[in-house]
Amino acid sequence: MQQNNQISLFGGVDRVAVLLYLLLVATGLLCITSVSFEEPEITEFFSFSRFHIKQAIWAAAASVVAIVILLLDSRYFHMYAYYAYALGVLLIFGTIVLPESIAPTFNGAKAWYSFGSFAVQPVEFTKITVALAVARLMSNYDYSIRKIGDMAHVAAIILLPLAIIILQNDTGSGVVLCSFIIVLYREGLNNWICIPLIMVATLFIFSFLFTPLILLLVLVLLFTLSSAMMVGRWRTHIVFVAGVLLAAMLLYTVGEVIGWDLSGYNALVICSLAGAALAAVYAIRKNLTPIFLSLLFFIGSMVFVPTADKIFESVLQPHQKERILSFLGIVNDPKGADYNVTQAKIAIGSGGLVGKGFMQGTQNRYFVPEKETDFIFTTVGEEWGFVGSAVVLTLLCAMILRLMKMGERQQEPFSRIYCYCVASVLLFHVMVNVGMNVGLMPVMGIPLPFLSYGGSSLVAFTILVFIAIRLDASPTKGLSALQ
Amino acid sequence: MARKEEYTRRTILRYIVLLIFGVIACRVAYIQLIDSSYKTLAAGNVLRYEVQYAPRGEVLDRNGEFLVQSMECYDLMVIYRDLPKEGFDTTLLCSLIDLREERMVQKLKDARMSPRAPVLVTNFVSKEAKLRFDEHNFQGFHTVQRNARQYPRKIGGNLLGNLGEVSENDIKRSEGEYRAGDYIGKSGLERAYEEYLRGDDGVNVLERDAHGAIKGSYMEGMYDTLPVPGLRITSTIDARLQAFAEELMEGKVGAVVAIEPSTGEILVMASSPTFDPDDMVGRQRGNNYMKMLGDKYRPMFNRAVQSRYPPGSTFKLVQGLIGLQEGTLRPENAYPCNMGYHWGNVKMGCHAHPSPLDLRAAVAQSCNAYFCYVFRNIIENRKFKNVKEGLDVWVDYVKSFGFGRKLDSDFLDEQEGYVPTSERYDRVYRGSWNGHTVISLSIGQGELGCTPLQMANLAAIVANRGYYYIPHIVKAIEGQDSIDRRFYERQYTKVESKHFEPIVEGMWRGVNIPGAGTSSRAYLPGWDVCGKTGTAQNPNGRDHSTFLSFAPKDNPKIAISVYVEHGGFGASAALPIASLLEELYLTDTITRPEMIQQVKNLPYYLPERYR
Repeated sequence: MQQNNQISLFGGVDRVAVLLYLLLVATGLLCITSVSFEEPEITEFFSFSRFHIKQAIWAAAASVVAIVILLLDSRYFHMYAYYAYALGVLLIFGTIVLPESIAPTFNGAKAWYSFGSFAVQPVEFTKITVALAVARLMSNYDYSIRKIGDMAHVAAIILLPLAIIILQNDTGSGVVLCSFIIVLYREGLNNWICIPLIMVATLFIFSFLFTPLILLLVLVLLFTLSSAMMVGRWRTHIVFVAGVLLAAMLLYTVGEVIGWDLSGYNALVICSLAGAALAAVYAIRKNLTPIFLSLLFFIGSMVFVPTADKIFESVLQPHQKERILSFLGIVNDPKGADYNVTQAKIAIGSGGLVGKGFMQGTQNRYFVPEKETDFIFTTVGEEWGFVGSAVVLTLLCAMILRLMKMGERQQEPFSRIYCYCVASVLLFHVMVNVGMNVGLMPVMGIPLPFLSYGGSSLVAFTILVFIAIRLDASPTKGLSALQ
Repeated sequence: MARKEEYTRRTILRYIVLLIFGVIACRVAYIQLIDSSYKTLAAGNVLRYEVQYAPRGEVLDRNGEFLVQSMECYDLMVIYRDLPKEGFDTTLLCSLIDLREERMVQKLKDARMSPRAPVLVTNFVSKEAKLRFDEHNFQGFHTVQRNARQYPRKIGGNLLGNLGEVSENDIKRSEGEYRAGDYIGKSGLERAYEEYLRGDDGVNVLERDAHGAIKGSYMEGMYDTLPVPGLRITSTIDARLQAFAEELMEGKVGAVVAIEPSTGEILVMASSPTFDPDDMVGRQRGNNYMKMLGDKYRPMFNRAVQSRYPPGSTFKLVQGLIGLQEGTLRPENAYPCNMGYHWGNVKMGCHAHPSPLDLRAAVAQSCNAYFCYVFRNIIENRKFKNVKEGLDVWVDYVKSFGFGRKLDSDFLDEQEGYVPTSERYDRVYRGSWNGHTVISLSIGQGELGCTPLQMANLAAIVANRGYYYIPHIVKAIEGQDSIDRRFYERQYTKVESKHFEPIVEGMWRGVNIPGAGTSSRAYLPGWDVCGKTGTAQNPNGRDHSTFLSFAPKDNPKIAISVYVEHGGFGASAALPIASLLEELYLTDTITRPEMIQQVKNLPYYLPERYR
């Protein structure tokens, strides 16, 4: 770290991060070049209409941007964080209010600016500004994430652009902002807030996998188990579960005989709520707080699941619904929703250990849609096999870990938080993008950082990472030392 | 945050990242190294979706005879990438499927642009040609079964309508129902009943091997769907009568419409000149279409529902009925006729007949002067403030007979015709007009315009003594209990049933009592034919000939309207055609072959605009 004190242009720049960045961009260019050669008849290599040439130009532009960032005084990022944030919010807000001629609608999302022949998606840049604002806010001297007011403050900063992005009809890109929960966790957000949030997301997916009855059954078992794990008293818990289930069955049978129109689900709802009330009384008597927590989460989940259905029906786009459902195996239509994922898996699967070789892939180029953007990983998988996939995944993983490491070695909270923001955004992108390529995640239309074709995305990720590198390269004394 | 906790969280996050990447890497390894099914699928070079086109519903006539059939035919497709490198015998292929070589070359050039997609080379390859094609193995080519329309009786071109490829707009509006290359009903019955006739296409998912050859069904046909054929439609048309009507109308311009009064079912709808509906199918469709567009007689113009003809004397029926209902006319009223109607400088000529006449005789003799009085008495009635109000009441009556508005039949391209209103006359005459100004309305001339369908409907109304069923061409749809309910509802006119007797009587006398009227040639022994001739003057040349008739007088089975443009007197051209059709329909025989001959030999005069 001592060399950081040198007054040299790129002194203190983290070479590992830059190297990883260059390797990833180069890999992306190779993949895009490969898929660009779809038509064997077209021999014109250098044509501005070809993806790889366009992407190469973008890469050149990105490196200029990177150098400019490295030349900037790192204090500026701290100073202008809020202004940048305001600009970022304005930019995405503009896509909604501006007319179609400037801000056209693509794929149902009004999230683009169009300049003649190319279009820019401002949300890619908004991620950067949100990261800066979060870092600036949370690095305030008297900021504490454990205080409700401060927590609300940071939540507002994240949720405002998220709301606008949802208005743009571009929920996929908006969800990325949720990845900042990782930063909040790192900065000390209460476990009891993190866990429910993660549970909500998991339940949301689960609620489409199971029928309501089975889901409720799973919930009853799960929370009794968690309560038992915290409190002990296994026998009491087993008796409790057995009691609730027996009562539900009894109620259902009686209902059938008498002629109430009572479904099994409703019977279980009644009995489990009654059981919950009993358990609460028991917990007060024996003074066992963990039982309360389990009960609280249980009730919360029970309220959440029906609401999730509502949200699912009203908030999500038809194609998003279809894709989520398809991911969960509910719609199995090889022509429709599942087609992309099926073809992506076939392409990756056909690669085997070492792949078919550069530009030798057939599956991805003929059958995978959006192969140069969202499904670029299929090219890696098919042409370079498992070895290539492992290398690319390692590079991405190394990049994220490196950013986290860079964060940890900062003395300035601003730099640390910013580095974690970048790591979180990258992690989320990789997780969702590669996840959907291999059928682990629903298809959401999120690019793979550095590899996917697309100018806005490449330049935005470059800025995102190089600001982190620039902050890291500042003298260890931090911003104040320069003043 | 405590130092220790910070450290813990750091570590947890690092492990979460590693865990996520671990899971993804395991998944990739599983797909690429362990699960071999993806490789199998990939080796199969995967899937080809072959649409199984649903055969379109057939159309029968009311007696179960085929009017429209579905005929198997094939599209020849090419996948450019699969063509043999060394080329192939173009001449042989073209001769097999009867295609010009230049077209083949052009299509192959087009196909180069999308080398992997099947590209249409030619459609309407006959079954025989397809079998010949199958005997040779043309790599890269394959056929797809389609269905073409075929017309065994070659009748009813405009009535049945035709199919064409869906337009961009149709595709957009249908929200995924139609794909490019699908056929859609463009006119007539095909268009009106598109949703029933169409059926649902199926799909075959096929697996291909590395060389692109079809290996078989994907997943044992799990994703295949069967085509659902379109529904068969039974039309109300009587094929024999329709064919006879078209034969009689040949060489003339005009339309014949016959309706079954008790149901509103259209028995005949012939618009002349017509065309062979088979001309609108197949590779020559485009050429034939252009040829017909250029034809000055406009064979694709369905005169039966789209023209606007002056009804002429047949409209006197309506006039008389309104007078009776309004109370300004009683059947025994007699008016003088001195070779016409004279009032100041207004003069309406008439032919020689005894005078004065009562209503029955005036209908039979078609006296112009009589109905001038009738009309004036209706609209100049003193109970009205002025003649405008009188005319408006009159218009309401006329509209209740189905004139001046769409009948809401199942022809989507049906026209309203025209009934002038007082506003129109106010505009034309700047407010100063009276019964004399508009006197030509009394004998169905002037601004009046109506479609032959509306005229036939008038015949049905008189036959039913005051009501009609909306005329329609579909009797039954396969698998459905009923057709649209509007076709089952009686539509009443504003004239009560009791007033129809003298009018019907007059129509009967005109035919059945020799010398009593203009329609005696329409006499069919024992059938009590009722008829009314019409001779409509027009500015384009010779008078239009029209005849309106129904039979028998009680429990009528057929109501018919014949309109022959520039046919001369109603009795000379339109009457024999209507009479022959009635005879064939009622008795199944033709006893007057000389009348057919006369109709066929009719000299007719075509005005400038058709020459």
